[in-house]
Amino acid sequence: MQLLDIKNLTIELTTPDGLIRAVDRVSLSMREGETRGLVGESGSGKSLIAKAIVGVLNKRWRVTADSFGWRGQELSNLPYEQQRKIIGRDVAMIYQEPSKSLDPTAAILDQLEEAIPDHRLEGPWWKRSYMRRRRAIALLHKVGIRDHQSVMQSYPYQLSEGICQKTMIAMAIAKDPKLLIADEPTTALETTTQAQLFRLLASFNQLKGMSILLISHELELIARYTQSLSVLYCGQLVEAGETASIIKQPYHPYTHALIKSVPGFQPNLPPKTPLYALPGSIPVFQHLPIGCRLGPRCPNARKECVKTPALERLHNHYYSCHFPLIGNKAP
Amino acid sequence: MSILLEVRNLSKTYSQQAGLFRQRSICALNDISFSLLEGRTLAIVGETGSGKSTLAKLLVGIEKPDQGEIILAGTAVQISHYRQYNHIIRYIFQDATTSLNPHQKVGQLLDDTLRFNTQMNVEQRRQKIRLTLKQLGLLDDHAEFYPHMFSGGQLQRVALARALILDPKLLILDEALTALDPSLRAQIVNLLLELQQKSGLAYLLITNHLRLIKHIADDLLVLHYGKMLDYGATAHVIANPQHDYSQKLISSASA
Repeated sequence: MQLLDIKNLTIELTTPDGLIRAVDRVSLSMREGETRGLVGESGSGKSLIAKAIVGVLNKRWRVTADSFGWRGQELSNLPYEQQRKIIGRDVAMIYQEPSKSLDPTAAILDQLEEAIPDHRLEGPWWKRSYMRRRRAIALLHKVGIRDHQSVMQSYPYQLSEGICQKTMIAMAIAKDPKLLIADEPTTALETTTQAQLFRLLASFNQLKGMSILLISHELELIARYTQSLSVLYCGQLVEAGETASIIKQPYHPYTHALIKSVPGFQPNLPPKTPLYALPGSIPVFQHLPIGCRLGPRCPNARKECVKTPALERLHNHYYSCHFPLIGNKAP
Repeated sequence: MSILLEVRNLSKTYSQQAGLFRQRSICALNDISFSLLEGRTLAIVGETGSGKSTLAKLLVGIEKPDQGEIILAGTAVQISHYRQYNHIIRYIFQDATTSLNPHQKVGQLLDDTLRFNTQMNVEQRRQKIRLTLKQLGLLDDHAEFYPHMFSGGQLQRVALARALILDPKLLILDEALTALDPSLRAQIVNLLLELQQKSGLAYLLITNHLRLIKHIADDLLVLHYGKMLDYGATAHVIANPQHDYSQKLISSASA
């Protein structure tokens, strides 16, 4: 069943220089139990999309979408209160830099207990606080923290980044969400802890059928842990489809460059040789190129590229490019 | 190729007050020895608290070592006299956006570096700044820019320019590539490799990114709680790590 189906999500910001379109008509759909990766460089709008789904963007941003389907239900037709209720019940999010997004003035136990919703607790009301504590401990065990006693009494600054991230995950799964959005969950972590966390997320996905939207700029990590992939560039969706097929045969020049720039995907590349890189740098939001935003940096851009290409489909593989790299035509 | 830097039995201990009269000592580095040839890259991996950054600080002379010697191009030196040696070893910080002074124009920033460290006159300095900016793919006009006017990748170039303007022999990159976006990182890596081939620059790369190490580093050193675990040619260490910790590290990066 379709879990999430967003059509043409647009996020705009009004500035003194006019309207800036930070996310330009991005479609995103997820099946139940799917793990999808969202890749893009900084400023490509991936965190904005995640925040727009959860609804935590502040009022300066204007969010519009043609449709926002959630488990077969059209959310944009519902009143605001009800939308919040559904999203609050079913979607959880993990933010980047866990030690900064936890409350520095409260102990872990208090924060964790606060995240457990009432309807998850059974038993009469006088047993509630006891049950709540039991559940908090169980959650900590579930994310792989064995020494719950000392962690619960600590404040975020006393714990390592890895433990903080694990408590964030514990708080996120306290309500058994249908969709877990992980926004750069491992940027602040060590390699060994990174692998541990991804295994943890993968186990939730397999055991509980929890869908996971993994946001990162490290294509390598994403490719290893996800089934499908969406690639963003500067707020435009450039390519979407199954991870394996995108990595094997990208259609969009940007995805192609992204894959070729990672030495891990190039086993035959001899050490110390130059990596493939697109010329130029990412445009700033005040000066976005018209049409396809990759245009000025694209190796095979032509006259037609000043028009924004439509999202086209080939089997299960979506791309938006006038001149896709189909049939092994390397640029 | 001659040996540029040799480090022998380097140790560093920090002491911490524990109670009124007792002192607790923390061993940050314990008996580290390695050598680095000209035009080569040495990568250092390890988790937080493994002493990577302490090692970098000792090499640039921010801290003094307790024991051991640092031999630079054949002569034993006291790097803590850093005024004499900071042309040879330069350090690049993790985050270019916060390590540049926001009040200073880039030209001013580079000019200061030259003014305090060389005998050049105004005209020579201006020439040098122009040359360095060009070498790093920046324009002359960029000298009049303030740091906030640059994008992340350009800022990293400015940080590189500040390091390279004194024509160093060794560049220490402390997680300088980790925070960059992939395509940007590829650009900077290309730039670093090109500089190395052209001018025989040596790099000391402190990072956690094993795939990148595999690509650009000649040698690899694994640190764990201040101890040296594995040291050797990158391909050799990755193929057969000797210690448990290195094995875990390498398998977690490639699993």
